[in-house]
Parts: sequence; C-alpha cells; structure tokens
Amino acid sequence: MNVSSAVVRACALVKTHGQGQSRVRAVDEVDLEVPQGQMLAVMGPSGCGKSTVLHLLGGLERPTDGELWVAGRRIDTLSERALARMRRRSVGFVFQAFHLVEELSAAENVELPALLAGRSRRQAGRRASLLLERVGLAGRARHLPSQLSGGQRQRVAIARALANDPLVVLADEPTGNLDTAATLDVLRIFEDLRSAGQTLVIVTHDERVAATADRLVSMRDGMFVDDTWLAGSRTRGLGGLIGLGE
Amino acid sequence: MGSVVLVVRLVLADVRRHKVQAAMLLLAVTVATATMALGLSLRGVSDALYAQTRAATAGPDMVALSGMTDPDVTAALAALADDPEVVAHHGPYRIVYADLTTRDSTSSPVVVQGFAETPGTVNRPLVTSGQWVRSGGTVLERGFATALGVGAGDHVTIAGRSYPVVGIAVTAATPVYPWATQIGPYGGPGDYSGLAWMTSSDARTLASSHDLPVTLALDLKLRDPAGTEAFLDAHRSATLRVNFHTWQFTAKQDLVILKDSQPILVVGSWLLGFLAITGVAALAAGRAAEQTRRAGLLKAVGATPGLIAAVLLTEFLALALAGDALGLMIARETLPAVASPTASRIGAAGLTGGTVAAATVLAVVVAVLSALRPTLRAMRTATVTALTATARQPRHRPWLTALSALLPTPLLLGLRLTARRPGRAVLQACSTATTLIAIVALLTLYAQPERGYGLDGSSVLPNLRGVHDRRLMVAITVLLIALAVVNTLTFTWTTAIEARANMAIARTLGATPGQISAGLSVAQLLPALPGAVIGVPLGLGLLSLFAAGNWELPSSLWLLGAALATLLATAALTALPAHLAARRPVAQTLSAETA
Repeated sequence: MNVSSAVVRACALVKTHGQGQSRVRAVDEVDLEVPQGQMLAVMGPSGCGKSTVLHLLGGLERPTDGELWVAGRRIDTLSERALARMRRRSVGFVFQAFHLVEELSAAENVELPALLAGRSRRQAGRRASLLLERVGLAGRARHLPSQLSGGQRQRVAIARALANDPLVVLADEPTGNLDTAATLDVLRIFEDLRSAGQTLVIVTHDERVAATADRLVSMRDGMFVDDTWLAGSRTRGLGGLIGLGE
Repeated sequence: MGSVVLVVRLVLADVRRHKVQAAMLLLAVTVATATMALGLSLRGVSDALYAQTRAATAGPDMVALSGMTDPDVTAALAALADDPEVVAHHGPYRIVYADLTTRDSTSSPVVVQGFAETPGTVNRPLVTSGQWVRSGGTVLERGFATALGVGAGDHVTIAGRSYPVVGIAVTAATPVYPWATQIGPYGGPGDYSGLAWMTSSDARTLASSHDLPVTLALDLKLRDPAGTEAFLDAHRSATLRVNFHTWQFTAKQDLVILKDSQPILVVGSWLLGFLAITGVAALAAGRAAEQTRRAGLLKAVGATPGLIAAVLLTEFLALALAGDALGLMIARETLPAVASPTASRIGAAGLTGGTVAAATVLAVVVAVLSALRPTLRAMRTATVTALTATARQPRHRPWLTALSALLPTPLLLGLRLTARRPGRAVLQACSTATTLIAIVALLTLYAQPERGYGLDGSSVLPNLRGVHDRRLMVAITVLLIALAVVNTLTFTWTTAIEARANMAIARTLGATPGQISAGLSVAQLLPALPGAVIGVPLGLGLLSLFAAGNWELPSSLWLLGAALATLLATAALTALPAHLAARRPVAQTLSAETA
C-alpha cells in the first residue's frame, strides 16, 4: 500500500491503563494504516480495546507508546490545543450514545463544529441544512434530541461529524443502541459516505456492520489478530450483504 | 423513636459524605449570626456599660453647667443644690479648658475638672490605676489616657506646665472620650477633648495663671433619678444660661461613637446571610439529582414524604443551629471590643435573649431557604422517577443559541453554559452585587473627611469613631468577599460538573481545553457583569438609607475600579476550577456518561 495515501497511520501503538500490578495493556503494539476512502471495521469482544484504539486515532486519548499519524502529521506528540485543532479539521466522531447536546435542536447540534471552527453563523447554518437533508432529517431540523428516535439522533450525530468535512469519520458502535430499521438507515448513510470517498473507521461488534466495510480488523486483548480486505464489498447491495433485504 | 434514630443516622451519613457543603453552611451561618448578634447588642451593651460605670462611680443624675462664673451663676447653682428633689450634690467645681501634650509631643484639647482630694458622695471617679488627685498631680480619664498611650507615673504638660500623672480613672458624669467637654468655653460649642482631674486649687491656679476659659459645674443626685425631665422643667431660667445634662443624655451620648457601627453590623449580617443562602443553595442545587435519587430510595423502602422532609430539613437545621451557637459564642467574646471602642467605661455585658433569638431566627431562615427547594423536589418526585433522576434538563433557548452562534468560541460556550442554569446565573449576579455593596460602603467610609482628636483636629490622635467603623467595615467586607469567593468557586465547579458531558462533546468537535476553560469562566463572568453594574448603585442607595448628613462619595474612578477589580477577581477565581474541569480526559467523561 502507498504509505503517503494513508489518512491514518499507527506504528506500534500502545496504551496502558492503571499502575503496578493492576496495569493493563488496553492496546498492545498495534500497527495500522487506513488509506484515503477506505471503510475500515474494527471488531472484537467487549473490552478488547476497540474503543481505545478509536479514541487514540481521534486524539481523545494519548498513546503510552508508539507513533500516530493523521493526514501525514504526527499527532501523538501534539499539545492538547493542537490536537483539538486537528480534530476540528480532520476528524468527525460518531458515538454509540449519540452524545448530542440535549438543549440544542438537531440543526444547532450540527452547526456546532462549524461554529467552533470559526465559520460564520450563516455558513454553519447552510452546511447544517445540507447535511440534515443528506441524512434525511431536513424536516426535523428544529427538533430537540429528546423529540427524535434513536436512529434519528444517530443520523444527526453523523451529520454533525461531517460538519467540517473531515478527512476521517471515527464511529464507535454507531448502531449499538439502534433497532434493525434504524441500523439499516445508518448503514445506508455510511454506504453513501463510502461511495463519496469518505474515509471511515467503525468500531463494532455487529457483524452486519462489519460486512459493509472494505476491510475488517479483528482485535483481541488489545492486539490486532486478523486483518481482512473484503474484496468486492463495494459492489454488493447493502440489504443483501447484511441480510435485511431492501 | 425509631424514626428519630433513622433521621439522625441519615443526617450524620449525609454530613459525612458531603463535608464541604456542611462546612460551608456551618461557617456561613457562624459569621452571619455572629455579626448580627454584635450589631443588635451594641445599644444594650453601651447602656449596660454606662449603667455599671455609673453605679461604680456614684454617677450624678444631672450635671448643671454654665460658661459664666459670675456670682449670679454661682448663686443659681447653689440654689439648685438646695432643691428638695436633690438628695446630694457635688460642686460647684471648675472645668478649665486647656491643651495637653505628652512626652512624645502628642497634643490634645483637655478639660480639667477641679476636684477635692477626698471625693464626695456624688461623682466619685473610680481609680483604675495609680491614685486619686493630690496637689501638683493630675489624674487622666481612662479612655483619654489609652488614646494618648499614657499611664500612671508618666508626665504630661497642661497649659505649658508639667504634671505627673498620678492615676487613671473612669467617670459616668461625662460621655465617653472624646466628648468630655459637655459644653464649650463660655457655653459655646465644644471640641473633641479628653478629661483630666486636678485638685480644686491646682485647677484654680491653672485657670488664673494662663487666663484660661472656665465653666462651672454642679453634679446632682435626685430623689427620683427617672424624674430628670420634671426637674429640668422646673429649673429652666430665661435669665441665667445654665445647661443641664441628664444621665439619660450622657448614656445616649455614649452611643454616638457607635452610631454607624450598628448599621454596618446589622446590614452586614443580612448580606452575609444572603451570601450564605446563595452559596449553600447553589451547592444543594448541584446535588439535586443525587438528593432526589436518595429520596426515591428511601421512599422505595417505605419512608414517607414527611420523613424525607425531616431528614433534609434536620440536616440543614442542625448545621445552621450549630453555626448559630458558634456565632453567638464568637459574638459574646468579641462584644466588649466591638461595643466599647474607648476605655472610658467599665463592666461587662453579654448577649440579651432578644439578640440570641434574632440570630437564631436568621440561622433558621438560612437553613430553611437553602433546604426548601431540594426538600420540595424530593417530596414531590414520584418514587420510580426519583430513583432514576438526572440533573434537570436545560430548556431549549433558540434565540440565545442563535445569538451565541455569532460570538467567538469562549463566549459562545460561556453564554450557552450561563443559559443552562439561569437560576445559578442570578445567584452569581447577586453574589457579585453583594460584594460590590460592601466594597462601595468601605470606599465611602474611607472617602469621608475626618477630624482627628488631636489639637485643632490633628490626626495625631486618630478619630476613634472613624477608625472603629472602618475596622468593622473591613472585617465585614473581608467576610463577605470570602463568602463570595467560596460561592464563585462553587458556582464554577458545579457548572463544570453539570456541563462536563457537553464540554466533552465540544472537545470531540474540536474545542480546545483553553476554549472550554475560558467558556466556563465566561459563564460566571457574564452574570457577574450585571451584578457589578447594579452593585455600585445598590451600595450607594443602601448607604443613603443609613447615612445621615452629607456624606462624601468616593470618586467615580474608584467605584469603576472596584467594579472592574471585582470582575477581574471573578475571572481569576473561575480560572482554576475551570482549568481543572477542562483538563478532565474526554474519553473518560464520555464513557462515564454512557454508563
């Protein structure tokens, strides 16, 4: 693989928690390269370190050891301030628990990253309308998160993750709290994103989600134990792939 | 009995778990009740000390004074002594107006009273150190001697002649230092003066050798000490100018030195009580969800709403009453120094029942107002809802969200954080306004032109009343600022804890720790701003209610500086908790919220 095209690159990444005898290696010597436009799924049992890898890639946690590069820039040595700027420009997060700001409407939630990035209110609003339309929630722009279903909330969260046109979207169990229909909606959006060349790293233990990816990495005890490139997955219909029908 | 044990057990457990809140309530109530008890005791203590001094010195019921010394006046004074209502008298005796200088060149006006070497039955000054007057020596009134820093055995110069100070004494015949003059030379107005005694012949010599102004005085003991007004009515003369000073007038005159102390202390205690309520209420509000869950748990195992209310109210009441007891003890210990800034009176005085009751009412009000909201919430919430209670969801405010979107990130975050808890913002504004009120009062006190007690108003002898008021005001202001500081830290930390999920989300979206920290600070500064703006006029308004006469206002520059300094201090105070909160790992916060 051409290293220069990697949006995310991790070398011998280590993350330990605790001290002394209770010290745990949550991530143990992980190497990873995610090329531009790839949809990568990370699977594994609970507590194997999937989410920690995602947090490390997004700069939410610092590695104990190893090197981490995003868009060709080493980020494990960056200050908190610089990491925040990097997240603002290059990373979009989607969480299992949605993590929307409850007192803001759907549109206001989506506007937030753009406003933090210093865009004008008008630009942020226009972008939010566009993104909400893209995730099928144009009619729900003024609704508060509490007035939306789980699937709709997650779609708002995806729209928010895309607000600053990030290089990579990091999704942590994005369908973990959703029913089948809502899962399908979210996967459709991810499929659209992938078609549009968006780089995606999705942590999941849902095989249906993993099956939509270009590449599947399996984790156990903090280590990558398998790395499979799912050739032809782009050509398969989403419903057929995940067994939901279309 | 079982319920009582349960309530006590639950209260103790909660106090142990929330030591900071308990300590804050205890301290806040302590300072508020101590201040109120002091303020309310001043008049009673002053009266009590006067009464005790009067009893110990056979104080006269009436002093007749005349600036004239001609035979008519002497005869008129002698006639007063023969009145059937008069059971005993002392005098007439000379009061000579002179200047006194100490060895370290401190000069002051002094009135010298010529007394017999053996005191009579009325107006027998009590010697507190040294001995009574003898030829060639002088005795100084204790308040005056303390201000001069002179004791028995020292020498002072009166009207150019050196006298040994043979003793220090107190009397109830004149008001406290520096109002010993009673009337000025020739019956005119008097200046701040100390009091000294000499033998009658020394006083005569002093007056004649320097041609000093002299007043004649006669001390009277009446058959009915309460009948001074009737005696006055019977002896008003249109031809002879004789001034009468009743013992009631002298007792009242003693309060002049405390005239501004009482409002400083009483209003100070209101403000302290108010800050105590805001601080404790903010802490309690921060714990509201936890309190409600606890109430739900208790209800689930069979506790009645009454028992829930009893637990919460008992906790606040017990702490407030403990603070009240502590405050009253402090007030009792500090009372003599606060109520008697001069050393002119003897005796001791304690707190009255009324004062104790008023301070206790204040403590109970603080406790009830602080506990009311969490108690009602815990009682009203259905058990199942209470068991899963979370912090109250902030309201959606579209106009504010849209407005904040136009602002830079720290202001955007700050405004939205402020809007999440408008009640807390109001408390922060009130806390700031209260601080400003105290600072404005302090600045105003320092802005007053002041006439010292030294010669010609020299400040070589400081104006005791001004010094005393300023000391009290500084103490009240320091206490208020200390409570306001604790409140600001509490508000910031509670805001940070409640908003940690949203702040963590903002971090994932690219907000820097600095922006989060600044946002948290701005969230406190925004309500502090109107608080500071309104605090200045409120402070001036409150002063105008209590300050009589023409008060000099501090310069606008000082007032502006005070408001700005308060805002800067608020910003600085919020920086540390905001910084600490902003440093919390994002992943950890989000995981905790998800769990």
